[in-house]
Amino acid sequence: MNNQQSWVEIERVFEAPVADVWRMWTEPELFKSWYGLNGMSVPVAEMDLRVGGKRKVCMEMTSAERSISMWFIGVYKEINEPTRLVYTESMCNEDGTLISPQAMGMPEGHPDITEVIVQLSEEDGRTRMKMVHVGVPEGTAGEGGWNQAFDKLTSRLG
Amino acid sequence: MCYARDAKNHWFAEPFDMSLPAVSKHIRVLENAGLISRGRDAQFRPCRLNIDPLKTVVDWTDQYRHIWDVRFDAMSDILKAMRDAEDE
Repeated sequence: MNNQQSWVEIERVFEAPVADVWRMWTEPELFKSWYGLNGMSVPVAEMDLRVGGKRKVCMEMTSAERSISMWFIGVYKEINEPTRLVYTESMCNEDGTLISPQAMGMPEGHPDITEVIVQLSEEDGRTRMKMVHVGVPEGTAGEGGWNQAFDKLTSRLG
Repeated sequence: MCYARDAKNHWFAEPFDMSLPAVSKHIRVLENAGLISRGRDAQFRPCRLNIDPLKTVVDWTDQYRHIWDVRFDAMSDILKAMRDAEDE
């Protein structure tokens, strides 16, 4: 199955103005403060916040015996402050070279490239956030990504 | 609408207000997506549900939904702390 697409869609309302939620996504120090999961820290978050600009994030899990680092690289595709942010994400080495998720021990079928779409809107001082995380099938990372993937999908459905 | 047994197009069509060719088109999309496979039995094309690709999708989305939920809980706490700090 080569054209499988999967996505996660989450909607949340935060008790905060939209500008603050936008900063959570776009300011490295703030991003680091929430992006790490239980037991994981985010020691590196580089964000060249412009369309085509690069973003690179390191997540680190440290235990008594060892620490494991996972690097993610991607580009910004849409930046519309403070309502819409779109970026891609792939697993990589520390130097930014793409690596396949399977080489990192992820299960077969884990996508090479994922895309995160964030939409924000303010209602009475609160912010409604809709986030969609889309997975692209394995084997597409080197092929120029989304346009091709969507072209393929469209022709398959046509 | 599919079961883990062979099924034929007209069985799919029966409960829907839809022509047989329209059903065939939908089935072709499912087949291209790898979600069903079709055999041949005289003039019939029996369909068989293939759940493995769906399972991959579900596994991936489950895993990531959980990750994002935890992150957004954290974001919510931090936003609240920022607000409280401003109020003081």
